Amino acid sequence: MKRQTRRLDRQPGEVIDRGSPLEFGWNGRSYPAYAGDTIASALAACGERVFSRSFKYHRRRGLLTASYTDPGCIVQVGDEPNVRGAHRLVTPGMDVRSQDTWPSLAFDVKAANELVGRFLPAGFYYKTFIRPRPLWPTYERVLRRFSHGGVVSPDPLSPELSSYDKRQVHPDVLVAGGGPAGMTAAVAAARAGARVMLVEEEHSLGGHLRWGDKADLAALHDLRSLLAASGVEVLTNSVVFGRYDHNHVAIVQRGLPHVYERLVKARAKTLVVSPGLIERPYVFAGNDVPGVMLSTAVRRLINLYAVKPGDRAVVLTANPQGDAAVVDLERAGVEVAHVVDARGGDDLVRVLGRGGVKGVELVGGHRIECDLVVTAVGWTAPLTLLTMAGTVAAYDSRAARYFPGTATLPDDVLPAGGVVGDGTLDELVAHADAVGREAARRAGSMSRREPAAEIPALPVDAHPELFHGPTHGIVDFSEDVSSRDLLTAVEEGYSSAELAKRYTTATMGPTQGKLESVNVVAIIAEATGRTISQTGTTTWRPPYAPVTLGALAGRHREPVRYSPMHPWHERHGAAPLVAGAWIRPDHYGDPAGEVLAVRERVGIIDVTPIGKLDLRGPDVPKLLNLLYVNRWSKLEVGRVRYGVMCAEDGVVLDDGVTGRLGDQHYLMSTTSSGAASVWEWVESWLQTEHPGWQVHVTPVTTSYASINVAGPRSRELLGRVVAEIDLTPQAFPYMHVRTGRVAGVDGCVLWRIGFTGELSFELHVPASYGLHVWETLLDSGNDLGVRAFGIEAQRILRLEKGHLIVGQDTDGLTQAFSAGLDGLIRLDKDDFVGRSELVWQAEAAAESRLVGLHPNDASVVPEEGSQLIEAGVICGRVTSSRWSPTLHRSICLAQVATEFAEPGTLVTVRLPDGRSVPATVTEHLASVDPEGARLRG
Amino acid sequence: MILIPCPWCGSRDAGEFAYGGEPTPRPDPRTATREQWRGYLYLRNNVAGWTTERWYHRMGCRRYLTVQRNTVTNEVRQP
Amino acid sequence: MAETGVVARSPIAPAAPEIILAGWAVSARRSGAALTVTDCTPLTKVAIKAAPVGATAERLEVPFGRVSRQTWTLGDRDCSVMVVGSGPGEWLVLGPPGSQVSLIHQLSALAGDGDLVAVVDLSHGRALVRLTGSWAAEVLAKETAMDLGDSVCPDGAAFRSAVAGLAADVIRDDRDGTRSYLVGCERSSGQYLFDSLLESGAEFGIEVDGFVPPDI
Repeated sequence: MKRQTRRLDRQPGEVIDRGSPLEFGWNGRSYPAYAGDTIASALAACGERVFSRSFKYHRRRGLLTASYTDPGCIVQVGDEPNVRGAHRLVTPGMDVRSQDTWPSLAFDVKAANELVGRFLPAGFYYKTFIRPRPLWPTYERVLRRFSHGGVVSPDPLSPELSSYDKRQVHPDVLVAGGGPAGMTAAVAAARAGARVMLVEEEHSLGGHLRWGDKADLAALHDLRSLLAASGVEVLTNSVVFGRYDHNHVAIVQRGLPHVYERLVKARAKTLVVSPGLIERPYVFAGNDVPGVMLSTAVRRLINLYAVKPGDRAVVLTANPQGDAAVVDLERAGVEVAHVVDARGGDDLVRVLGRGGVKGVELVGGHRIECDLVVTAVGWTAPLTLLTMAGTVAAYDSRAARYFPGTATLPDDVLPAGGVVGDGTLDELVAHADAVGREAARRAGSMSRREPAAEIPALPVDAHPELFHGPTHGIVDFSEDVSSRDLLTAVEEGYSSAELAKRYTTATMGPTQGKLESVNVVAIIAEATGRTISQTGTTTWRPPYAPVTLGALAGRHREPVRYSPMHPWHERHGAAPLVAGAWIRPDHYGDPAGEVLAVRERVGIIDVTPIGKLDLRGPDVPKLLNLLYVNRWSKLEVGRVRYGVMCAEDGVVLDDGVTGRLGDQHYLMSTTSSGAASVWEWVESWLQTEHPGWQVHVTPVTTSYASINVAGPRSRELLGRVVAEIDLTPQAFPYMHVRTGRVAGVDGCVLWRIGFTGELSFELHVPASYGLHVWETLLDSGNDLGVRAFGIEAQRILRLEKGHLIVGQDTDGLTQAFSAGLDGLIRLDKDDFVGRSELVWQAEAAAESRLVGLHPNDASVVPEEGSQLIEAGVICGRVTSSRWSPTLHRSICLAQVATEFAEPGTLVTVRLPDGRSVPATVTEHLASVDPEGARLRG
Repeated sequence: MILIPCPWCGSRDAGEFAYGGEPTPRPDPRTATREQWRGYLYLRNNVAGWTTERWYHRMGCRRYLTVQRNTVTNEVRQP
Repeated sequence: MAETGVVARSPIAPAAPEIILAGWAVSARRSGAALTVTDCTPLTKVAIKAAPVGATAERLEVPFGRVSRQTWTLGDRDCSVMVVGSGPGEWLVLGPPGSQVSLIHQLSALAGDGDLVAVVDLSHGRALVRLTGSWAAEVLAKETAMDLGDSVCPDGAAFRSAVAGLAADVIRDDRDGTRSYLVGCERSSGQYLFDSLLESGAEFGIEVDGFVPPDI
């Protein structure tokens, strides 16, 4: 096993637990680590310096930032690709591998790209592979082998990786960023009475204080104590990745015990944005060689993980943090060979060495041997969340970084900490404290009379504008874009930041501009002779940090609906049919047999999803007259009537029967798919057009299990389970309704209607007894040959009878006359929904009609949707078609142009396979019992 | 997701509502011309700025309500 | 409704073992877990619609968004019932299993003069689930965007919102100081709602606890 040769003695701020040693695997070898180590810190402690190969040239890459955004150590962990190695904590037995290297990290054949690098200029892919177009599939296959990223296992993921969760929270104040400013703002808001949530991307709070000096660590200790006592909910290893309208804030929470990731959706009254500052890399030759690091990276390694980052260092510094890194390096026993002070105009020319730092070249050609190069050349303000809230970033050349334009921020978003300004820790804390109190006040947690908190101004320190040295180097470490590529892009005319970004793909890799965007803009500005402000930035959009699709999707759950008879259907091998949210029995294995059972004996079908609305009040007749195209004012108690609804454009909306159960009590039925929309439709007319009408609507669709008992022996079957209702044709005629007891269950509604064309009774049974009544019917009708039938059989039966299905035989343009509903439409009514359009349509005559259609070859069943073609012109389509087991022939309904709608007209059906077959328009829509004798029997 | 201020239930996620669009007065069907009727069915102002909209609180109180919304900024208010 | 001898079935399959109580097939399982879910569908559920402001609303005395526990005489015994202000001009009354006939009778008598009142039995049209335990709010927060904090949703509050993608009535009804919610949805989605809560509660060790009448 490897040894931790570069592990330092105990450091005051270290986050590793030396009492918990562990082992993990790196490219198949075993490595030691301590709990609290990241993958990168553990490997660095063992002397590893190369973690990955770069995107385009496959150059060796080591640590750059030693933080979440580090582009150099994105690794594969078990089945999980693209893991941030400088952020993910090691766990015992973890299997970590370098990504996309072949055959090994040390010897990668694709590094040949590096040698031909001058042939991979900016826009290389666009220029090279765009022609000839037919070769694209080949190009794609080759390029994919060279593309970056880890491996997703084709096997199902382990439960740990596939379990995602969601949670919704409503903090008064949400603080994004747990450095000193964020911690202070959170405490201040909580003390002012607000419910506060604090979200931090790293595993511990404190930001830069964690790698600071004794005073910093003492201040951090105090802040943690205050926070612990404040009642603030703290989410570490979590990131705010988006801010949307009305302060809807998206957070992804990681490292949970029961789920891999959790999407936390926060509706925050106030959002405090305190992400701190991100250190900027320096652009010069060799800046991506393993061993070139930012000052914050070496300070993290030394102070948090007790790792000695090198033996002999050269430091380029332009600020006090860089100076502090020199102190840290010396304390850690690293020999600081030379300090290049950029504030005095000094500079680095290039890094020497390719697989690792061997030295540097200074201005004037002087070379110094070293194995570590540290740069501290300035900061980038991560303004992403603020720009999502509407602020426009403004560049300050004196401070060499961007600031949020506070004038453009909405009231419910407040920035704090380094994104606002600099100053001493005391000044930052005083500012954040005021921000926290003001955030609570704006969230309404304090009395409205409380005056707005006075937020002190933060000083802004001057900083030299340092973006690149005298040589070309890498700008975007994730995408392997160099400053030379950017100049090429500008020369070729892509001189705006947005265009150059897309052309070169700079800022489009996994770091998403956090490290490189200011350098990109600065280099474009210089190349085009503009200022940074004039050049403008690229647009920052959500997500702020990468988010797994699993976290966004959450647990996979879709509402489903079952009828009370569902257990019986399952037990009897029903083929499930998904109809909206309903799971319905399509058939029980033999739809044709089910059809014949209904035609010859008796069948029962579960029609529970049929929409049912309980209507009560004196004005129900007015409502029915308004909503249906036919007349409703004289429906007597005990009667049911079929009705069709149209929208205001005359298009058929829904159909069903409505029965009058009592003087002011009606039960309306709708199609299964229209149950919800018709209810909304009814409410809309009542609430917005006729608020004075006295009607109460209660949806009762699932209060009843609905069973249709159909067939010549249905009366006989029902007679065996009904005691008090007279079922004789004289006492209970067609289109009548009765209520009473069925199979011992009170409160059942029975109506005599017939979608199937047979004598039939539709039972609506209190749903909790639905299964009982269903089973009783089957048990009682054994000798009658009773059989359950499914949706498919019902569709055949109704097609034989020529009953249309709204949405199948009509579509979103089919007006009522085209649907063949002429006999129903009562234009002599004063008003009904859609009447005006139908009056005009009646004058103009319908362009198409619904007709019955029989293919002349009875064995051909044209697919639904097949077109009718005459003289090369489409003149209609088949809307429904089936083989009729009753007639032993194919039957159809079709929409045809009016001139072809006359019975006996011969039309041509074009089948999907290209054949054309003749078919004849029938006299009636119904192919079976057009006179309705069976129905009324 | 934006919030819709429901006069009955308070502010709720827009996902609880069905969007009803600009309310258009129904012309008197006995006297309406075809042009008036087509305007009622299809013509909307589609303003960039403050607009009045109807929403239906489908998952909540099941009431139709009217909301003013700025289509540019998504600010909402009760009329 | 006197359904003689016929056993009523909830849309939620009872966790084994199954027994018949108060005419309903229910789970005989008893759990002492810190977080439990109980199928309370056997409770009688009656909806009332009337003018939001009017004589009936005054007599019901429960505003929209609030819950009131009352003792009513149903038949010949005193029963605990829950009156829920479930919508504007809309109430839901929960009573012990099998009490719909007397509940509907009483509620119909309550109708104010000149006020159109609809009393509709929804006992078989709604599924009702009770979620009890100190983690109940955390479980529900996975399924609804509503703020469940005490300031917005204290004990005795009711609201209708999306829960697990369904339109659901939620009633905060703490039991002996422990957080408890009744969640009601359309009957056909009852099993789905129940399963969703079980899955969301898994990390807190949720268990099924059987229904014991009258349990209101």
